[in-house]
Amino acid sequence: MPKRQDIRKVLVIGSGPIVIGQACEFDYSGAQACKVLKECGCEVVLVNSNPATIMTDPGLAARTYVEPVTAEFVEKVIERERPDALLPTLGGQTGLNCAVELAKSGVLDAYGVEMIGCDLAAIERGEDRKLFNECMADLGIETSRAGYAYSVEDALAIVAEIGYPVVIRPSFTLGGSGGGIAHAEEELRQIVAQGVGLSPAGEVLVEESIEGWKEFEMEVMRDRCGNGIIVCSIENLDPMGVHTGDSITVAPAQTLTDIEYQRMRAASLAVLDKIGVETGGSNVQFAVNPTDGRMVIIEMNPRVSRSSALASKATGFPIAKAAAKLAIGYTLPEIQNDITEATPACFEPSIDYCVVKVPRFAFEKFQGTDDTLSTRMKAVGEVMAIGRTFEEALGKALRSMEDGRAGFGGDAKAAAERACTDEDAFRDAVSRPTPARIYYLAEALRRGWSVDDLHELTGIDPFFLFRMRDIIEVERGLAEARLDELDADAFRVCKQMGISDAQIANLTGSDERTVRTCRKMLHVTPAIKTVDTCAAEFASFTEYHYKTYDAHETEVSPKERPRVMILGAGPNRIGQGIEFDYCCVHASYALHDAGYETIMVNCNPETVSTDYDTSDKLYFEPLTFEDVMDIVDVEKPDGVIVTLGGQTPLKLAKPLADAGVPIMGTSPESIDLAEDRDRFSAILDELGIAYPPSGMASTIAEARIVADRIGFPLLVRPSYVLGGRGMGIVYDGAQLERYMAEAAKVSPDHPIYLDRFLEGAVEVDLDAICDGVDVHVGAILEHIEMAGIHSGDSACCTPPFSLSESVQAHLRSIARELALRLGVRGLINIQFAIKDQVIYIIEANPRASRTVPFASKATGVPLAKVAARVMAGERLADMGLPPDDRRLDHFSVKEAVMPFGRFPGADTVLGPEMKSTGEVMGIARNFPCAFAKTQLAIDYTLPRSGKVFVSVCDHDKRSFTSIARDFARLGFSLVATEGTASALRAAGIDCDVVKKIHEGSPNVTDLIDSGEVVLLVNTPFGNATRDDGYEIRTQAVKRGITQVTNLAGAQAMAAGMEAARAGGLDVVALQDLPQWQIGEEVRHGA
Amino acid sequence: MSESSERLLSRTSKGVQAPAMLVLEDGTTFVGRSCGAAGEVAGEVCFNTSMVGYLEILTDPSYAGQIITMTYPQIGNYGICDEDAQRSRIHAKGMVVRDMCATPSNWRSTRSLPDMLRAEGVVCIEGIDTRALVRHIRDHGAMMGVLSTEDMDASSLAVKAKAAPSLVGRNLVSDASDAASASCAVPDAHAFAQAPIARVHRSVVAYDCGVKDSILENLIRSGCDVTCVAWDTPAEEVLAMHPDGVFLSNGPGDPDAVRTTFEEAARLMGRVPLFGICLGHQMMGLASGAEAEKLKYGHRGGNHPVQNLLTGRVEITAQNHGFGIVFESLGPIIAEESGGFADHVDDLREWIARGVAPVVRNERFGRIRLTHVNLNDGTLEGIQFLDVPAFCVQYHPEASPGPTDAHYLFTAFMRLMDGDHDPLRIDIADDRLAGWRFGGEAHA
Repeated sequence: MPKRQDIRKVLVIGSGPIVIGQACEFDYSGAQACKVLKECGCEVVLVNSNPATIMTDPGLAARTYVEPVTAEFVEKVIERERPDALLPTLGGQTGLNCAVELAKSGVLDAYGVEMIGCDLAAIERGEDRKLFNECMADLGIETSRAGYAYSVEDALAIVAEIGYPVVIRPSFTLGGSGGGIAHAEEELRQIVAQGVGLSPAGEVLVEESIEGWKEFEMEVMRDRCGNGIIVCSIENLDPMGVHTGDSITVAPAQTLTDIEYQRMRAASLAVLDKIGVETGGSNVQFAVNPTDGRMVIIEMNPRVSRSSALASKATGFPIAKAAAKLAIGYTLPEIQNDITEATPACFEPSIDYCVVKVPRFAFEKFQGTDDTLSTRMKAVGEVMAIGRTFEEALGKALRSMEDGRAGFGGDAKAAAERACTDEDAFRDAVSRPTPARIYYLAEALRRGWSVDDLHELTGIDPFFLFRMRDIIEVERGLAEARLDELDADAFRVCKQMGISDAQIANLTGSDERTVRTCRKMLHVTPAIKTVDTCAAEFASFTEYHYKTYDAHETEVSPKERPRVMILGAGPNRIGQGIEFDYCCVHASYALHDAGYETIMVNCNPETVSTDYDTSDKLYFEPLTFEDVMDIVDVEKPDGVIVTLGGQTPLKLAKPLADAGVPIMGTSPESIDLAEDRDRFSAILDELGIAYPPSGMASTIAEARIVADRIGFPLLVRPSYVLGGRGMGIVYDGAQLERYMAEAAKVSPDHPIYLDRFLEGAVEVDLDAICDGVDVHVGAILEHIEMAGIHSGDSACCTPPFSLSESVQAHLRSIARELALRLGVRGLINIQFAIKDQVIYIIEANPRASRTVPFASKATGVPLAKVAARVMAGERLADMGLPPDDRRLDHFSVKEAVMPFGRFPGADTVLGPEMKSTGEVMGIARNFPCAFAKTQLAIDYTLPRSGKVFVSVCDHDKRSFTSIARDFARLGFSLVATEGTASALRAAGIDCDVVKKIHEGSPNVTDLIDSGEVVLLVNTPFGNATRDDGYEIRTQAVKRGITQVTNLAGAQAMAAGMEAARAGGLDVVALQDLPQWQIGEEVRHGA
Repeated sequence: MSESSERLLSRTSKGVQAPAMLVLEDGTTFVGRSCGAAGEVAGEVCFNTSMVGYLEILTDPSYAGQIITMTYPQIGNYGICDEDAQRSRIHAKGMVVRDMCATPSNWRSTRSLPDMLRAEGVVCIEGIDTRALVRHIRDHGAMMGVLSTEDMDASSLAVKAKAAPSLVGRNLVSDASDAASASCAVPDAHAFAQAPIARVHRSVVAYDCGVKDSILENLIRSGCDVTCVAWDTPAEEVLAMHPDGVFLSNGPGDPDAVRTTFEEAARLMGRVPLFGICLGHQMMGLASGAEAEKLKYGHRGGNHPVQNLLTGRVEITAQNHGFGIVFESLGPIIAEESGGFADHVDDLREWIARGVAPVVRNERFGRIRLTHVNLNDGTLEGIQFLDVPAFCVQYHPEASPGPTDAHYLFTAFMRLMDGDHDPLRIDIADDRLAGWRFGGEAHA
């Protein structure tokens, strides 16, 4: 049954910004889908507010709308584009919810748009627990015993029947948001109240706890004829009770017998039939009682998901690509298996390796929040590793984490778990699921705990614990040996157990380089194997590789063209997200077109870079010195790119260069010139560029001396940081002392930097490319928030909305001078602060920045591609770039998206430490409209009336009055605490007074609880303090109230609301922007 | 293995192991560690791509004479659940794995796989690059090999491998067939996952050419009273039992060497409804005068897509065969019953593209329709006799191990015995959950 002829124009809805539970896996699936629909002759119309995605590159769709993923905006797009069909299953929960809203409100019918892949009824059967349970009952498949509650009383009645503990799941929320496990009444009351509030339907499911059971996922595909296949089975190492996104997971399932597996398989396929998923991919989750094999279905998602991205990477089977083809009418047997190019996609991949996924967390960013893992997802990223055994894959995954670990166990003695001597604390750390538990398991095994005891405490299947014990036993043996006692066989045993060179060095008291040298002298080098979907049964043509120490045979193709290796960004974490992956992917495309064979190395399964389609060769490997060098030894690249994947590859630049690896683009020497503060200051002095006065201190006494010299306020940070970790602003000596004491914990071996903080300065980001002769300034981005807020958390606008032409020209000229002086070959990002007409340089990073994708979308010039070509030796002058001082007639605003809703208890105040997970973009003819679009893209609605609660610090009181007047004019009523209220009244603005928390009830928290407050403006003073402001802000997060914590944001908000009301917000396709028409030539290469 | 590597492994679950070696007839050598019984065996080295089901594979009599390589690297993870075995003993000659699990985990497991291998005297090697071995067999074809823990001289083993008798022309069925030991009951231990037995209303005689217990169990669950007979039981003896149907089982080796069975099958055709699986399918083909061919490296795994030409549906199937029937040799195409096409095609997938289930005219039994085709390589997977009540498939609807998509074929056999002339037109989705139990009670 071939493609349907009645579907010519397809609307694809993306998933919007990266948030916890919905990350760049949807860029991977969405980009795949857009590509394949285009290949099939469909005209693709795309809506996605996330500028950092590959899918929003204008080449992927015919019409690309970087607009809020809301029914309102998508309807505008539908009205303009009149698509034949809507594909709702590739944009995560956000895309699905939006499609449901459009279907329910009759918009799809009104415009004659058919929902393909999965219809409304099927989505509802999949997502609504009641309907789902009915379907399962029809099939005879067990679900856990449960009931629905709409209030705490309902929940108590249900618990009276089924007993504690119970799991509470709010209906229709993202990633199980708002759910939890209640072991007693108090907990139940709290979680149910919160869950009812968060659920759009005001409904929570209260069900029997199957905590401790084994958890499995099946990735299923189905076509419209009813052919169904299982792409992959996944077993969670952490038993039920931890969200699957927060669990370490293993593919394929490890501990099921054939009869158990086949029963789960048959059930999964029957579930898709029953729910009515007409075509596409779904995942079905099961729990299995480890003592009697009883199997209970947990849930199914009638769409591609995080786990389907993982399954695609784990097997080589492109689920999203197939799903898109199936949606437009093809059937599974009609689709070819890309990898073998000979067999059909209608089969079940057989893999001959083991895959381990480990989630990456960011609790250190959110102080005050509990790091216990539960049914509510908190991971911000993940890594995947491939090995021939679980042991090997686990070790590789753990050293991919970018958290300073070298693998499973075998760490330096300083690790927290090794130092833990308190028996109760240790026992708690072993039994409680947390990000660090895996290391405590290693330590427990080292201390001789039995597998039985650990199984009892953790519920982790003994199979996994026995494998871990074997690793630890080998490590114990290593610890008793000297490096020179290890022969080739012994090295091979270690490597097959997944033990890294760094761990061998730790355990034998050597260093990593020496270990590597010894290992290579003994000819213990890895073999390269291929992910081929079929366990080598058929020849394969796709170069998707991993390393292993099964060294009988290696599968590397001979070199035919010059090779360039691009090092990816590793796991997503706060401060290092999808933006860097975007740059790596663009470089790969550009260099492939320029005649290179491109080799991508990365370990993040969520990304486009780890799609085997993206580069000529893909190595799914950790980004450590050892692993990268092993690949270099085999592939012998002509150049390695380290400046596009953020900090992860950048910190390898020097060690790689020292090992003789040819680094492409900016040299490690130039990188060091920009990163070394003394050398950098010397250059700025030489060029006559201003920078804030600064100093360095290792002790409190030293810090005081520096402070006396520079003066307060001070921006303070550890000298070794990523994403502003450990940064703060201090206003006085007492705060400085507190900070210094705290900093010693974060980074004990590194001194603290102290910079004069330019309070009230306007911050500017600038992205440029330098080829050694010319410099092209890609974009100047004016921050909306004042200096002091991490640039990743700050909203910004290009072209600048308040900087004069001459200031902009000055910024460009500084950038030119600096880039040339540093010797940059490729991208450079410069951060400026402008105060009192003086331009200061805050820092310069000769690498891709977080803003490159946004700047590229806003200006039409694909900066990362241009940079890659420059690194390969092309000249900017030959590329036909538009002049960098041209005027753009649309404003583009980027706004950060915060994950506070996931971290109850964490403060929401923005500061120099980055906390956002993603970003959205708004494009409009003026700044306020563009800003309003970004707010809509994040919060989905802008308040139109109601109460605005205001509490600003003394410092801001005067400036706030004009903004308050705007809010009043827009029809909001103002409520404030006493101090702010008197300032407003003095300015002649009407305002109600509400009590502070310590002033008794009813106070501000009661007001927030009442639901009357629609917007909260709260600007705190100084460092995060646990004052009223903290209580108010965290309360507002719980209620999901829009909040602004700085004046500039409040001003932009008011202007945005006004603009949105006045003219309405129109939609615009990137392809219609003049800059994209100019950029066309550049994109297709000279 | 060096002393220092042995020291590192000594405290792991592997402990101290003896060396082992696998040498193929072309001299290719793999050195590893012994994880089964001590000894030396020769056999055809083949590979299976199923990720689970090692016990079912080892105990499947069809593997007689073979050394099985598992492509999934870690084997033995869930230990031995005895009632999953396909016969009471291991039939494979030897086993090759990348990594053997000595410390398994599953609620039904009673012992580890290495313990079982040792108890049954089966030689097994671990720690070798099984992917390299599989690629070698894929590229050079199935070949004989010797697996030894006794002789560590590669050239001596290569000589032995070359001298080992090939499977071609050898009757391995006479040894595998043991009707007395075939289990004609369903194990209680599967009650947690499998539905209770249907009402008995048919009697079936099964030729045991090395039958898997799970096939008999499926017949029983479908409502058959099954009697097993030896591979060489004369047709008249079977007919004297007045069965409602006769089943021809799977079995090891070269089908041409099992002449007695296919000659008796020829005598049964048309006199009683017949259903054949795997070797049974080959028996029905040879009974019709068709030719069998040896495949380059066989089909062994749990993920082969097979399309049913009557329903258009694709089944993911369990497979285990090194020989196949050549469709063309069954007879000339009858154009008027084959969409107007008169010529045979090399690749049977061509018929799928044409949307036709072609019919040939067979000299002995009249019209035979092509019903099932392998989508990976276009080989013959199933035929239906239109003028006598019989059908057969090359693959394994009983799975064990593998997907159970083709379970409907047991239902089809019941229909055939009921007199249905078109029994194979069953939508697999309607049959998907038949035979399973989930704990809850179905309402529909």
